[in-house]
Amino acid sequence: MSEATLLAVFEDLDPAANAIEKLHELGVGDENINVISGVPVAHKILGRPHPWTNVSKLSMGGAAAGFLFGIFLNFGTPNLYDIHVGGQFITPIPPGAIVTFEMTMLFALLATFLGVFLDSYFPNYRPLEYVDEVSDGKIAVFFRVSEGDAKKFTDAMNTLGAESVKPAEARQL
Amino acid sequence: MTATSKYLSGAHEAHDSHHEEDPKQYLMYDPKPRGEMNAMVMESMHTTSWKFWVVLGVLAFLVVTCFFFAWGYMIDEGLYVGGVMRPAYWGVFLVNTVFWIGISHAGTFISAILRVFKAEFRRPFTRAAELMTTFGLIQAGASIFMHMGRVWLSYWMFPIPNARQLWPNFHSPLMWDLLAISTYVLGSTMYLFLPLIPDLAMARDRSTGWRKTFYKILALGFRGTEGEWRHLTVAMNFFAFAIIPVMFSVHTIVSWDFAMAMRPGWSSSVFGPYFVLGALHSGMGAVAMVLFVMRATMKHMDYFIRKEHFDALGKLMLMVTFAYTYFFFNDYIVQWYGGDKATDNLLHWLEEGPMAWMFIQFVFFNIVIPPLLLWSKKVRETPWLLALIGLMINVGMYWERYLIIPVMLTINRMPFTWKLFQPRIEVFLTIGTFSMFLLFYMIVSRLIPLIPVWEVQEGQMTHSLRKVGKAKLPTISEFE
Repeated sequence: MSEATLLAVFEDLDPAANAIEKLHELGVGDENINVISGVPVAHKILGRPHPWTNVSKLSMGGAAAGFLFGIFLNFGTPNLYDIHVGGQFITPIPPGAIVTFEMTMLFALLATFLGVFLDSYFPNYRPLEYVDEVSDGKIAVFFRVSEGDAKKFTDAMNTLGAESVKPAEARQL
Repeated sequence: MTATSKYLSGAHEAHDSHHEEDPKQYLMYDPKPRGEMNAMVMESMHTTSWKFWVVLGVLAFLVVTCFFFAWGYMIDEGLYVGGVMRPAYWGVFLVNTVFWIGISHAGTFISAILRVFKAEFRRPFTRAAELMTTFGLIQAGASIFMHMGRVWLSYWMFPIPNARQLWPNFHSPLMWDLLAISTYVLGSTMYLFLPLIPDLAMARDRSTGWRKTFYKILALGFRGTEGEWRHLTVAMNFFAFAIIPVMFSVHTIVSWDFAMAMRPGWSSSVFGPYFVLGALHSGMGAVAMVLFVMRATMKHMDYFIRKEHFDALGKLMLMVTFAYTYFFFNDYIVQWYGGDKATDNLLHWLEEGPMAWMFIQFVFFNIVIPPLLLWSKKVRETPWLLALIGLMINVGMYWERYLIIPVMLTINRMPFTWKLFQPRIEVFLTIGTFSMFLLFYMIVSRLIPLIPVWEVQEGQMTHSLRKVGKAKLPTISEFE
C-alpha cells in the first residue's frame, strides 16, 4: 500500500505534544514523524528522541587539526627560512603558543560552522515540505502513514486541536 | 489625626506604587504573537523616510570622497601625504585600528558572554551588537591596510611558500595580530550569521521580488526541523564559549604591539587586560548609541528595546568603568612611581604639555563622569542620556589611543626628536571609516532583521508569571 505524508499544524506546543503521543499510540514510529517549529523546542517537551548531531565532534576535530597546523607553522616552517631574532631560538615556545592557540580556535570555529552546513544539508534549494505558518510560531507535525489510514489520522489530529491537517507537499521555499 | 492618617496612607500608597512594578514593562513578560512580532520587524526594515535617504546619501558621498578617493590619492602619492614621520611613525591609522577593534569587542561580549550566562535582557539586541563587531573589524582591517602603504604587497604577511626567501616571522606581535584579527573576523562573522538563519527564513516567507531571492539564498533552505535547530543551537553554544577567549586574545595581542617594546608608557605588564577593558568600555558605549538610534529612528523598536535594556546596559557600563579605572590607575601609578626619567617626561607632557587637554578629557569622559552618572537608575533608563555617556566614553577612548600611539612615540628617550604629530590626510580617512561604518549599518538595517525575533519569542515562551500568595512573581523555565 502506498504511503501519504500528512501535515498537521498546531497553534501551541501542548496540542502538538499530545498529537505526537497519539501518533505513537496509533503505531507511527519516531522515524516517520518530523516536527518543524519557529523556535528550538527541546525534544523532551514533545516526547521525541534526542536528535543526533555531529557538530560538536566536528568542532573538536577542527580544533585538533588547527592545533597541528599551528604546531606546523611554528615549529615546522621556520626551519625553511631561518630568521634569528634577538638571540631567540628559531622556534621559541612562548610566541609559538600564541600562534598555535589562534590556529586551534580558527579551525575549531570553521569546523563548527561547516558542521552546521553538513549536518543540515545546507544550502538546500530543492522543493521541500514546509508551511509558512511555522515562522509565525505555529508547530507543524509531519508524519508518514499508509494512504488507507489517512482519514483516521486526520480525524485524530483534528480532535487533538490541529488547525489544519492536509497532505504535505514539497514546494520551492 | 485624620490629616496625619491621610498623609501616612498616602505615603504608604506611594511606597507601594514605587515597589510594585508592572511586569509588562519587561519585554519577556509582555509577549505578542510571533506573527505580529514578525510583521513589526519586517515593517521596520521596509519603512524609510526621506531623512533616511538624505543621511544615506551624505554618508555615501563621504565614503566615496574621504575613504576611497583619499586612500587612492595616498596610494598614488605615497605615505608622505599623511602626517606619519619620525618619531611618530605610527599615527592615526593605528589609532583607528585599535579604536575599531575596541568597538568590535562589545558585540561579542554582549552576545557571547551574556548567552553563556543566560542573561535574558540580551535577547533583542544581540544582533545589533554583533553587527557592530563585523563592521568595526572591517574598519580596523581597512585602517591596517592604509597604514601599510604599499597595500598590494599585503600578501607578504601570509605564509605562502615562495621564491623570495621571505617567510613571516611568527615571533613578531604584528604577525600575531594578523592571525588573531583574521580569526576574530571570521569567527564573529560566522557567529553573526548562524543565529540569523532562522530570521532570514522568516523574512523569506514574507517577501516578494528581489528580497525574496535575497533571503532565499541566505536562508539556505532552513525550515526549522528538529535536526536543524539542534545543529544550530549546538554550534551557537560552541561559538559563544569559543569566541570569548578569541576576543580576549585579539585585544591583548593588539596591546602587545606596544607593550613588547621597551618604550616609556608602553612597556607595561598590565597592558593586555587594560586594553581589553578599554575595548569593552568603548564598545559598550557604542552599543548604547546604536540602541538609542535604532529605537529613535526605526519603527516598532520601542517594543523590543525598552528602558530595562538601557538600564541593564548602563549597569554593565558602570561595572566596566570601574574595572577600566582600576587597570588605568594600576598602569599609571606604577609608571608614576617608577622614577624613570623618560617616563617622568612623558607623564609631565601628558599632564601639562600641549596635549594635556586631550588627557584631561580622556580622564573625565572615561573615569570621572560615567560612575558619577551611571549609579542613577533614572540616568540609566534615559536612552538619550545613556547614548550621550556612550559618546563621551568613545571620544575619551579615542583620545586615549591617540595619546598611547603618536604622542607616546613622540615623547621618547631622545628629546632632540620630539616633534608634535600633525595628522594630515589621516583626518579625511578617519571620517571615511566612520562614515563607512554608519553607512553599512544603515544599509543592513533595511536588509536583515536587526531583532532576532526567534530568540525573543523563545525568551517569552520561557518566562511566565506565577501566583504566589497575593502576588504574581516572574519565573523563568529552561527549554534546553
